[in-house]
Amino acid sequence: MSSTKNNGPSPADMEYYYRQLYPFTDIFHWLNHSNGEATKDMTHREFAMAFRSGAYKRYNSYNSIAEFKSQIEKANPDRFEIGAIYNKPPRERDSILKSEMRALEKELVFDIDMDDYDSYRTCCTGAMVCSKCWKFITMAMMIMNITLTQDFGFKDFIWVFSGRRGAHCWISDKRARQMNDLQRRNILDYVNVVRDRSNEKRLNLMRPYHPHLLRSLDLLKPYFANVILLEQDPWANDENAFKTLLTGLHDKNLVEACRKYWTENPYRSSSQKWTDIDTLAAKEMKNTKRHAEYILKLKECKEDIILQTLYPKLDIEVTKQTIHLLKAPFCIHPATGNVCVPIIKGFEPEQAPKLLQLQQEMTENNDNVKETSLQKFIDHFETFVNQMIEHNEIEPSKKREYDDLLK
Amino acid sequence: MRRLAARRNNDLSFDDSNTSIKLENGSSASFSINGALSSDEQKLYQNINKTKLSFYDLPPQGEITLEEFEKWAIDRLKILQEIQSCISRNKQIKEIATIIKPQLQKLLPTTSATPDAFLERKKDYYSHYILRLCFCRTKELRESFVRSETLLFKIRFNMLTTTDQTKFVQSLNLPLLQFISDEEKAQLGPQLYQTASPILQFQLNLNDEQQRKAFFARERYIKLPFENVIELVGNRQVFIKDGFAYLAQFQQLNLLASEFSNNISESLIKTFQYIPRLNEDDRLLPILTHLSSGYAVTDFDQNDGQYGDNSDNEINAESVWSPDIMKHYPLSVKYLMEGLKRNHHLRYNGRQQLSLFLKGIGLSADESLKFFAKAFTEGGNMTMEKFNKEYRYNFRHNYGLEGNRINYKPWDCRTILSKPRPGRGDYHGCPFRDWSHEKLTSELQKMNMTPSQISSVLDSCTKGEYTTANTKVFEFTHDFNGSDPDINDQTLIAHPNLYFERSRQLEKKKKEVEAKIKGTM
Ligand code: SF4
Ligand SMILES: [Zn+2]
Repeated sequence: MSSTKNNGPSPADMEYYYRQLYPFTDIFHWLNHSNGEATKDMTHREFAMAFRSGAYKRYNSYNSIAEFKSQIEKANPDRFEIGAIYNKPPRERDSILKSEMRALEKELVFDIDMDDYDSYRTCCTGAMVCSKCWKFITMAMMIMNITLTQDFGFKDFIWVFSGRRGAHCWISDKRARQMNDLQRRNILDYVNVVRDRSNEKRLNLMRPYHPHLLRSLDLLKPYFANVILLEQDPWANDENAFKTLLTGLHDKNLVEACRKYWTENPYRSSSQKWTDIDTLAAKEMKNTKRHAEYILKLKECKEDIILQTLYPKLDIEVTKQTIHLLKAPFCIHPATGNVCVPIIKGFEPEQAPKLLQLQQEMTENNDNVKETSLQKFIDHFETFVNQMIEHNEIEPSKKREYDDLLK
Repeated sequence: MRRLAARRNNDLSFDDSNTSIKLENGSSASFSINGALSSDEQKLYQNINKTKLSFYDLPPQGEITLEEFEKWAIDRLKILQEIQSCISRNKQIKEIATIIKPQLQKLLPTTSATPDAFLERKKDYYSHYILRLCFCRTKELRESFVRSETLLFKIRFNMLTTTDQTKFVQSLNLPLLQFISDEEKAQLGPQLYQTASPILQFQLNLNDEQQRKAFFARERYIKLPFENVIELVGNRQVFIKDGFAYLAQFQQLNLLASEFSNNISESLIKTFQYIPRLNEDDRLLPILTHLSSGYAVTDFDQNDGQYGDNSDNEINAESVWSPDIMKHYPLSVKYLMEGLKRNHHLRYNGRQQLSLFLKGIGLSADESLKFFAKAFTEGGNMTMEKFNKEYRYNFRHNYGLEGNRINYKPWDCRTILSKPRPGRGDYHGCPFRDWSHEKLTSELQKMNMTPSQISSVLDSCTKGEYTTANTKVFEFTHDFNGSDPDINDQTLIAHPNLYFERSRQLEKKKKEVEAKIKGTM
């Protein structure tokens, strides 16, 4: 388990990191959508810096890689964030009318945080995370990847570790970047299924499931027994079972029967309770003539519960606004000292390099970044950026709708 | 307004004071009194004529008179306000269609195939453009205009025959509308059906699986970039694959409507940029300002002052006080009666508002005098002489029996709302605007309305939609059973006399129905 205490880097550590390790060039190319000259995509892009003191400085922008690096190094923030591309360079904001600043584009982003799984997470609490609960995030990313590719046809997106117990998705496809707020909001609505985070209400989704939900259910079902019933076992706690399991059932009498049985036989495991429901339902069914309908309803409730526990839980605010800012990849998480690395296959938070460890590796390898544990993440990011740039250039260079706005 | 009416006779054309109006980017249209048909004009309206509907993407052609300018705009405004009020009252599109169809037929028909058709199109086209001028000024006005126009568009689209619908869609030349092949449909069959099935069930009420399957088998699908139907994506009402949404033909209206509303929103902003030039024209501006004032225009003023059917003399100086008649009064009138009873007097605006209302429900001039004389003198503070000396003229005047002998009309809500607001000791005005929420709440509670009904009424008041609040109260206190459109008229009530008449009619019809039921037993 990774702890969060005493790992926070000092200002000197941060300065070292920006000077020696941070991949400014790759980040620049990524946001520039080209590894040639600086384009408006980069020079009109907002950056915000967050400082140890709590200060937060918005509307910075940079014209070159060198300037980008030197300015961040000089300001030496705890972390910095990436915002939208505007019609004017954000740093000139003070000299132009506020009403003339318009956000034109930004990557479509998603944010998944472990917090939202707390009703079903028993292995860790709070900021802690382990390989067991990281599975929630892995499954969420799996579902999102398939949805983004198969449904929306997006190609160029990358997941980034948030530094503690979550992940951010950045989608760079031109079509995604150009979405307005209404479109972002609706994309979010499409993928966002579990809206009530207390998980105390029945989902009650319409039948038949939309193909996207059916596919998600098929993908998640095989993990349910292992991850929820066995590993996390959230309903061994009877109170929690009443609150987040029984509330998912459709028949009041069945709910009462279960409640009674579990009160008389406390601490039954989640998988016992999951089967108890069927056993008790068989008895309840005797009171109705419509057996087939009852069984179908019960099956539907159980399907909804599977989605409720495992389907991606997405942060709403981050996605729905073009101007929203999000922490840049490769920043250092101020509390854990972890590098917010791109997520590679089989990644677990344990594997995220820590700044202190990287410093050591640098000393051992004559300051050669390539020899450090950061390199494989940089490689992964570079491959992604190059591919994205290729796609970007192949795409028939459609005249941008806002070209005339960018004088 | 008045100035306009006077100038109307001067045979002034709008052209000669060089005030042609830019209605759309780059092209101009002028209003003038002469009515010759140009060939452009003919072409434009004939095209629309073929399709019966339009996106209004070209500016109107041809000249119209100032009279038409105002009349046409008001006619369309009545319909849009009706729709607006229905939206505020949470009516579904189907209900709204039933409610406004009779008005639509009267004020903006698109049905006839006769020579009138040409004029009908022209009126439709012009009135839309004139109202653009009125409603382009603020974001709120634009949004509400776009919302109502889009709904009107949807309702009219649904009124077209399938052939006309197809003709219209083809006329739009939307590049997006590609139907998929039968092979592609077969390939995606399961997914497409899964997506459509709940919609068919809940929106088209196809409860039987066989019905749904049969419907689906006939349905054609359109494939288009998902961004074009983004709201259906958000509701998961379309299947999407590789960045394309598959839209069933029956959902096509959603797409057209969103095209339509995007077009209009954009044009409104352009119109707004051109409007400063209009300020030079002092004849159009008052009309426009007046039209966009936000108060409902009413259609309840055809007969000259006499609205109520009083053939059996049910309305007289005594009965207007009786609970049987009083229960049909809207709140504003109840309040005037209350003030009159308490003070044995009403100030000028209150007197006018009440006496003209009573005239409207059928109280004769003689009975009216009797009524007010009694009410004013009853308290003992006023003698009959004084009444005759100071007030008799006033009440007779309202009936056109004195002075310039104009037969004055009862005030509609718009007139009531345009008078000076009531001060201390005044009883005129409209309670939905003038009363505090506390006072309104306690009054509505006395009428047995539920807390949620009350808060819905207060909501409309806060938004300044007083006549909608008034109509809500009517609906909450009169139950509508049965679908007989005679009984079930749910249009906006923007006239106190309409409130009264409708309430009374409803009671009569109910009694008839009850009598029938008894008779058969
Ligand atoms: S809305 Fe009209 S009828 Fe209703 S109370 Fe106000 S003034 Fe009277
Ligand atoms: Zn854990």
